[in-house]
This record gives sequence, structure tokens and C-alpha cells, in this order.
Amino acid sequence: MFTILEKILLITFLSSAISFFLYHLYVRLSIVFKGKGSFAFDHLLLRLKRLFDEVLLHKKVISKQRTIVGFLHLFVMYGFIFFGLITLNHFLIPFDIKLFSPSFKLNYFYFVGLPWAILCLIGILGLAYRRFFIKPKFLGEKSKTSAVVTLFIFLLMITYLYDEFHLWNSLLQYKVNWWLHSFVIGSFLFLIPKSKHMHLVLSPFNIFLKPFDNPDHAPVPIDLEASEEELDNLLLDLSRLSKNQALDIFTCVECGRCTEVCPANRGGGILNPKYHFILDLKNPMLENQDVNVVDKINVEAGWECTTCQACTEVCPVGNQVEKADEIRSFQVLSTGDVPQEYQKLLMNLQETGNTEGKNSSEILKELPEYTAEKEIVLWLGCFAKHAMDPNFVKSVRNFTKILDSASISYGVLSNEQCSGDPANKLGDKLTYQLLMDQNVEALKGVKKVVSMCPHCVVNLQKEYRKYHEINYEVKHHTQMIAELLEDNRININPGSLEKVTYHDPCNLSRTLNETEAPRKLLKASAPNYFELEEHGKETLCCGAGGALWWKKDTGEGRTHLLRAEQVIQSKTDTVVTGCNFCYGMMNQGIGPLTPSDQEKIQVKDIADIVAENLSN
Amino acid sequence: MKIAVLTKAIPSYESLIRIDTSSKWIDDSLVNYVVNESDAYALEEALKIKESLADDSEVVVVSMGSEDKCSKIIKDGLAKGADRAILIDSQEKISDPLSIATLISDCIKDEQFDLVFSGLQSDDLGSGQVGVLLGEKLKMSTATLAIETQIQPSAIRVKRELESGWFQWLTIPLPASISIQSGINNPRYPSLKGIMGARNKEVAKHNSNQFSNNQLQSMVELYIPSNEKQAEKIEGDSKSVASRILEILKNDLRVIQ
Ligand code: SF4
Ligand code: SF4
Repeated sequence: MFTILEKILLITFLSSAISFFLYHLYVRLSIVFKGKGSFAFDHLLLRLKRLFDEVLLHKKVISKQRTIVGFLHLFVMYGFIFFGLITLNHFLIPFDIKLFSPSFKLNYFYFVGLPWAILCLIGILGLAYRRFFIKPKFLGEKSKTSAVVTLFIFLLMITYLYDEFHLWNSLLQYKVNWWLHSFVIGSFLFLIPKSKHMHLVLSPFNIFLKPFDNPDHAPVPIDLEASEEELDNLLLDLSRLSKNQALDIFTCVECGRCTEVCPANRGGGILNPKYHFILDLKNPMLENQDVNVVDKINVEAGWECTTCQACTEVCPVGNQVEKADEIRSFQVLSTGDVPQEYQKLLMNLQETGNTEGKNSSEILKELPEYTAEKEIVLWLGCFAKHAMDPNFVKSVRNFTKILDSASISYGVLSNEQCSGDPANKLGDKLTYQLLMDQNVEALKGVKKVVSMCPHCVVNLQKEYRKYHEINYEVKHHTQMIAELLEDNRININPGSLEKVTYHDPCNLSRTLNETEAPRKLLKASAPNYFELEEHGKETLCCGAGGALWWKKDTGEGRTHLLRAEQVIQSKTDTVVTGCNFCYGMMNQGIGPLTPSDQEKIQVKDIADIVAENLSN
Repeated sequence: MKIAVLTKAIPSYESLIRIDTSSKWIDDSLVNYVVNESDAYALEEALKIKESLADDSEVVVVSMGSEDKCSKIIKDGLAKGADRAILIDSQEKISDPLSIATLISDCIKDEQFDLVFSGLQSDDLGSGQVGVLLGEKLKMSTATLAIETQIQPSAIRVKRELESGWFQWLTIPLPASISIQSGINNPRYPSLKGIMGARNKEVAKHNSNQFSNNQLQSMVELYIPSNEKQAEKIEGDSKSVASRILEILKNDLRVIQ
């Protein structure tokens, strides 16, 4: 049926398409492998489970607000998968090789090919309708390749159905249809590697290889005794991405979800993580054939990031989007170009070991000092220690009331320094190390630490471990109180009937993975508890993260008001949170934003609402 | 171009200030010394000039005081990009600007600086005179309260802040000593390379004892201002009340003439 010339033509066409595809894949992967660090394969089962959930079940693609789009995409993806066999069969026809018996082929057509061809058609037309007619802002500019892909998939399905239903009347018609189908498949191989459609190939690997920690920035250990050469290497290293980060950039499908959820962007800032942290780095990587592109990140955008990790949480292809850490470290350590308000903060940390530059602390004096026979160290953190929101002192007292009622002995460390979180987040790894080293020393011999500040917990528990061997266990106070409740060491009576909602702090929900403990406590103490629309791991940042608490209020940008506004709109009576910074931000935002005809919402910490309802 | 930047170590704002046993100075042991704010702007201005000239210009941090007080701020200046430093080691507690300027001038006169930048005034003693006096001693032209500088061949243009929003541009020949107002630039933060590089930079030490020093002014007594609340109840008819209030405003509070 097919002439020898046609066979040669087909072989030439397909082999050039495959070579093209492989070449460009190779180019990209060789850049990826120049990245720092190595890919991790630990927790294999968890990784496979994640692959199953996020690729086959499309759990992230089909998220709450994006159910329809998610399903449309699922149809297209399964269409592709099920068409694998059909495509193989298609290209073997000219060589008279029959892969399947006629009955298998027929069954496959009716039960798989036909339904998925239709679903795939629905999927791609739906997605095209969304992209070209609804035009969601975050998809960005018109994408030519998307138009081409729509046309290709449409043609593929039509030619497939045309063939299967034997709609042709002559050999010529059959062959034109067959060649059209082949041409489209081959063209895909030309289209994929240089466009966002590369995610077809890379995203399963990227999702499988994604680090478990969110965020997962590499430590920057600094040796002040190092030689000139070692220092130069360290600085060079700061400009390089890790393997995972490099793979992310070639995997990005440009969906814009990261930007859609980004509090800095939503608050009117310039930060657009899709571009600043991902796509802006792609061409430089291809041009340099290397991963030394950190300096291509827009610095101003980098300073706006609250490091909330919403972008990473939402990314459907498993990217760890946020690169504020990288660009800030690069900026601080290699150029020293740091906004003045942050210089002040960093100087305070160096000189006094706390963010506020204070010499003494009232609450520290009021609380018992830790001694070896006590069960736990109560780690205060600068916020509580220096009453950065004076109301929060009450919350600290409430927490100690809970500890007392469970007869837990605790004490504070008089030489507690700032955990270093702001320095770490601002990229001043030197100041960070200074504080961390002192704290690690102070915590020697300590078994258990509890803190009301998730930022402190993240550092004491996760970040310090990157530099030191850690022998203590750290808990967030909500985790500890929840355990006390479970063990019946405290009892809670459901309190008043006011409406209560909970604001998930980013560090607690996304970085420490804790969304349940606070809810357990809330459900026990507040019968009228309800969820905000954006909650759990999809929470919206209060605006204080990434050291933005200390950012000078220029009157521009609303990042720090968005969440307070949502809380006000929820018409709750009380908002409870689990982080002192969120607590402070809520208080600052709710006051001025509450309309005059609305009662002012009360801000509480979990410790407050539990202590108020204790029944021992 | 050789630029000296006078840099002073002053007690940080959050430091606990107590008077020492002599009642003539503060208790140093409780104090955390930091760089005087406007001096940081002076250094940045000098570094910017050096960078804009991109030649073999030199920025030298000049600091006076005991070594333990000054070494941190000197290191900081070197880390930010100054090329070397001169420490005038002085254990004495000198508060008199002329003596200070004389000492500094004795130490640095051989250096032949083209420019001396100083902060507008120190945030602790606040006399605001050392820069000008030093300029006079070294026979330099002087200007105070600079809010912008433009370097020219053998001269410098300075924008000076005057009262109530007015300012003045003036061009003065080099060498010149100029005091710099806070806020005129964005001081940099020491980069890691700067911090590491500072280890190998030269810090020349002079001992203040080697120079004669006739202090023209000395501290008699230092005390923390007493903080009292006073209330006076004024009684009588409206006329006598009014005249008493007038008296207080005029004589006690001196808020009206
Ligand atoms: S971490 Fe948060 S603020 Fe930063 S880019 Fe991601 S979403 Fe935006
Ligand atoms: S990084 Fe992820 S969320 Fe952001 S545009 Fe790319 S694929 Fe979408």
C-alpha cells in the first residue's frame, strides 16, 4: 500500500523529529546536571505515592478553584497516554507489521480510543476556549504554541476518528489522512522541547524528584578563616541553582498559578514569581549553558517576597518556585546592597542579638529560668520577648497558664538570641550563623523546646540541622497543647458561641506541615468554628514573612492588608492564629480596615482561646 | 584623590547609659559602641567618589578613641570598602573639639588628604565642630551640612542645607574638609568579600600621647537630667490667674517674650 519512497520519507521525517527532540532534551538535561547538589531518591514509596497523586490523579492540577480546568487537562493527558499504543500501531502500518489482532484493535477503539478521543477533544477545546476567550490574567500573554497545540490535537483526533470510522472513499483520501496524522505527531516532537510543552516529558520526573522540605534552600556555611580562593568559590556558588531548581525551570508549564496566589503580587507589588523566579532564568541558562543565573533574578522583586511558599504549594508540576533566598543571599553577601531598614535590623541582630536592638526584656524577667531539671525550654523569640505587639504578652502568659495546669515544668533561657530567622530570610547568612551558633551552644543538653513562634520552630528544628547536629526536639505550642489535650492532661470546655475562624500561618502550615493540631484545639474550644476560604496549606500570608515585618511602610502595596481584609469580610467575631507575627499583622490590619458599622474582630492566639476555656 | 573619613564610635541608642564613678564620663563597660550615624553617610559619599573616579583614589577611615571601642567600627568601614584606616589611640576622655581637631591634625597632616569628610556631628557630644576645625588646622577650605557633593578637577561642588528648606550650592577648592548631613545617600552593607578583605587591610595606629594636648575645655560634672513632675495650682480671680500664667510662660518656661 505504501511505496518505498513513502517509507523512506517517513523514516527520514520521524528520525529527524526524534533526533531534534532528543538533542534539545539533552541540551537541557546537561544544564540541569551542572546544578548544585544532587537529586534525592530517599523515601521512595512516598515519592511514588506523590507521583501517583499528582500525575495520575492530577490532585494539584484539579485543585479547589480549578476543578473544571483540571478535569479538562486530565482528559488531554489521558488522551495522550492511551494514544501511545495507537500511535505505535499507526507508524507500523506502512511496514505491514500488525501489532494487534483485528478484534483487539476494534475493542481498543470502542472502549479506549473512541471515548478518550472525544474526551481529549473536549479537553483541548475547553482549554483553548479558556485561554483564548476567557483569557485569565495569570496565563500571561497569548501563547502561539498553545494555539498550535490546540490545532494539532484537534487534527490528531479528527484524523484518528476519520480513519477508524473508515470515512475515506479512496486510497488517496486514506493516505492524505494518514500522512496528516503522521505529520502532526512528528511535529509535536519539534514543538515540545523548546516550549512549555516540555512539561509533558519532564513533570513526572520533577514531581518525583521534588524535595520534601518546603522551602528547601541550600545552607551557606561561612568560614571567616577561609582563604581568598575558598571565599571566591563560595560567592560563585551563590550564583548557581541546584539541580532541582534547574529542572524546575525547564519543567514550568507557564500556568501562572504561582503568581495568582502570590501575596506580594496580589498586594500590588512587582513580584511575579512565574517570571522573576522561573522563566526569566530560562534563556540565560540556555545562553550560558550553565546554572549560574541567580543574578538574573530581579532584586527589587526578590525583596518583596514574603517567602510564604504559596507558589511552591500550588505549582502543578512540582516546582519549588521561591528564590528570594538565593537572590537575597547573593545580593547581601556579594554586593552589600541592602535596603536601609534591613541594615538597621541586621545591625540590631549583630549588636544585641535581637531584632529590636533591646537590652532587656520584661517578660523574660517575669518567667522562670530554665534549669536542667525542668522538662522544657520555653523559647520566646524576639516578638514575644520584646513585646512587638504588646497584647501578645497576654498570650504568652496564657500559654504558661496551660503549661502550669498540665503541671509541666518549663523555663526560659536568659541567653536566648534571635533564632536568626530574619537574617536567614534576608540572605545575611553570616549574621544568621552568628546567632545560630550561640543558640546551639545555649541549647546544649536541652531535650525539649517549645515555642509560640513558628519562625523560631522552623529554624531551631529544620534550618539549624543543615549546619549542626541537633539533639533536642522542638514543638510548636499548638502541637504541644494538642498533645496535652489528647493525653487528658488538660481539659477544655467548649466556650462561648461567638463565631471563630482560624488563620493558618505559612510557616506552620506549609513549612512545618501542621494544620491539624490548631484545628483540634479550636474545635474543642469554639463550637462555632468555621474555615476561611483560603485555609490549610492554601492559606494566604499575613504579609509579615520573609522579614517583611520590618519593611518600611511606604504607603504602597497592600500585601500586609490582604489577609486582614479577608478576615473582616468573613464577618467572624474572633480570628485565632498560631503565630505571633500573624497576630501582630492581624491587629495592625483589622483596626484601621474595619468598617464603622462592623464590630471590631478580636485577634487571639490558640493559647488564648484554650486558656480561656480550660476546665481543670 | 585621597579622602579621609572621620569616624566616631558612639554609644548605641539602646545602650544603658550610666555615669561612672568619676562623675565626669559615662560608664563605658555597659555601653555598646556603634558608628556615628552621619559618619556612615560620610563614608558612603567618599566611597561613591572613589568609585566614580575609578582611579587609584584612596579612602581612609580615621578614628579616635580607645582601640576596643574603635576596632569594630574601623573593621566595618574597611569591610564596606575603605582602603585603610588610621586609629588615634586615646584613652583620655576628651570632649573639647579643638583639642580633638588638633590631635587629629597632628596625626594626619603628613598624609596630604585632598578631602576630609566627617559626619555633620557626633550623636553623643554633638558639637559639630571637629570637621571644620580640622580643616582650618590643615589649611583646607571648609563647608558644613553637605547634602550633595560633585567632584570637579581640583575643586568640589557642595550643596549645603540652610534653614527652612533652603539650600546653597558652592564650589570650594581642594583640599577641603566637608561635614556631611545624614540621609544624603544609601550607605552600603558590608559584603562578605568586603568583610574577608578587611582582614588584610592596614590599620595604622598612632598614640595620642605622642602629641601635646592642652585641653581647653574639661568636663566638670556629668549627671542624668532629673526627671520631675511639677504641678502648680493657680487660684484667685481670673485676672490674677491670667497674670500668673503669663509670668510662668515668660519667666519659667520662657516660651514667650
Ligand atoms: S513565596 Fe509567597 S510571596 Fe514569595 S513568590 Fe512565592 S507566593 Fe509570592
Ligand atoms: S512555576 Fe509552576 S505554578 Fe508557576 S507558572 Fe510555572 S508551572 Fe505554573
